[in-house]
Amino acid sequence: MLNNLVLENFDQSFLKSPSLIDERKKAFSNLKKIGMPNKKVENWKYTDLDNLTKSIEFKPGIINLELSNQESKGINVREFDYFIKNKAQYLNPIKILENEGVVYLNISYSNEAKVIEIKEIQSQPLIINIISEGPGFSLPRLKIDVFPEIEAEIHLIYLGGEGFINQLTEVNLQKNSKIKLFRVNKSSAVHSETFLTYLDSNTNISLVNLSMPENNSRFQVYNSFQGRNSFSNFKSVSIPKDNCHDDFLVHNLHKSSNCESNVGIRSILNKGAVCSFQALVDVELNTSSSKAEQDCKAILLHENATMNAKPEMKIFNDDVVCKHGTTIGTLDKEQIFYLQSRGLDKISAEKILLQGIIKNYISDESPLNSFLPKVYQ
Amino acid sequence: MNNFLKIQNLSVKVENKKIINDLNLDIKKGEVHAIMGPNGSGKSTLSNVLAGKSGYTIIEGSVDFCGEDLISLEPNERANKGIFLAFQYPVEIPGVTNINFIKTALDSNRKFRGLDPIKPGDFLKLVKEKSEILGIPEDRLKRQLNVGFSGGEKKRNEALQLMILNPLLAILDETDSGLDVDAFKIVADTINSTRSNDNSLLVITHYQRLLERIKPDIVHIFIDGSIVESGGPELAAEIENNGFERFANA
Repeated sequence: MLNNLVLENFDQSFLKSPSLIDERKKAFSNLKKIGMPNKKVENWKYTDLDNLTKSIEFKPGIINLELSNQESKGINVREFDYFIKNKAQYLNPIKILENEGVVYLNISYSNEAKVIEIKEIQSQPLIINIISEGPGFSLPRLKIDVFPEIEAEIHLIYLGGEGFINQLTEVNLQKNSKIKLFRVNKSSAVHSETFLTYLDSNTNISLVNLSMPENNSRFQVYNSFQGRNSFSNFKSVSIPKDNCHDDFLVHNLHKSSNCESNVGIRSILNKGAVCSFQALVDVELNTSSSKAEQDCKAILLHENATMNAKPEMKIFNDDVVCKHGTTIGTLDKEQIFYLQSRGLDKISAEKILLQGIIKNYISDESPLNSFLPKVYQ
Repeated sequence: MNNFLKIQNLSVKVENKKIINDLNLDIKKGEVHAIMGPNGSGKSTLSNVLAGKSGYTIIEGSVDFCGEDLISLEPNERANKGIFLAFQYPVEIPGVTNINFIKTALDSNRKFRGLDPIKPGDFLKLVKEKSEILGIPEDRLKRQLNVGFSGGEKKRNEALQLMILNPLLAILDETDSGLDVDAFKIVADTINSTRSNDNSLLVITHYQRLLERIKPDIVHIFIDGSIVESGGPELAAEIENNGFERFANA
């Protein structure tokens, strides 16, 4: 794809933030060296993004990050001006991911940004609609900074879209803060999101993700436990459209002691649908009392459905409790029979079982419930 | 009394192994039959075949229930016509709330009979009444179906479903296993209380103790997929004292 780049197409981006030109050019130079991700890169072994984006015209896409209640007290919203004044912050993701093409691409041509500082506890969730309105490459940047002692709830909603969306999201949790995230991905664009979290001490992040992409999607999460006693809980329900690929990668990087990470996925896959789940627990040498859990369950509803699961653990000390489990298969015949033996017809029994799989992560009370297809509500 | 369940010359195989062998059994309305047999004799296969579980091949024979060919019916059709299997090992269903499931099952039965779904208030009253009899706490009704339940809790939950669905023929597949002494008495006495002239019970068990509480009209000894002897409750007492050796060597 890189050979087809017409850099002039992005001149507007450069003009929009001329003070970042050097940083952007350097990032783009690195992107050219690394290339767009493809299956030769281990972390991208299930998605050839280079190939998927080849046919998409390399011109700036139109994307908006709309916030529901940015006027709320205690919320401060900034745009690109923040990064112009904080160049180190603009380049921060590169420190976490040194060889990641999609990060360099975003930094090269990022054309929409929101920096949300949450300084007071919010009574209402903050809802962010990410709306792509045209073809081309849309490269939004989102940074959420939760101040000390603050609790917040944020909903991230991706619907529709065209072309290629390559989002870079950062969540910074300052000491003793807590955030609940609910994410809906129903994007019809080729979609990639790199999601970086920085957890200071005594922080808590939970994310429930409902992923129903109508095109190929990649959601990669890097949780960096930088302070003690922090906790992350990432749960995804993946129901990609037929013949679409929903690719997840979650790395939990335990750099401090007494931290706990849980990651799980429930996937329901129909004709030609593919879900991939790579999860890494990385526990560094000088940590203690780490806990981590990885859990994957996929139901294949069609003979041409595929689930790829690749759990990994890199453990460099003995004071760790780690668990992982993977179950891939069709619906359980014993369960179907049990439900039928109580009078439910087979279709109803199957529906109840699928609902049950989803309800473990998305309850009736969850804000994500209304986004589920009626059959699963 | 009318024929309720009539099994004639039934032979069943699983893969290439014959499990039920030329079985004949008549259960009439209002009767309680007990089947006793050693492990591997085919008792659970019989209960599964009656409930319609897949994986079994009927080689020959017939099963009529209320004058209708049972074998041709799907498991849910059998259930809605009044057959209930209390499972030996009730299955866990994650994500499905116990009470919601029971209501869904009851409404399926009602729909089959041309009735509207039960009103929520009436249902809650019914569940509360039956749960209290069985000593099932309210919070267990809100838990996921059988998930994390002990063996005894699962069996009580089976008894609860039996009471609420009120079937014509209940098949109890080793319902007494996994129950402690107190739970055993409660479950056995509760099931016994459901007896009437309009329904029947088929009790599959290893032990006489259940049959002391749910007194059978007829006890069948089941060896190698066939009934080798039938008699009154005294047959169960003999098994308790002497085991199955006499029948196995017959």
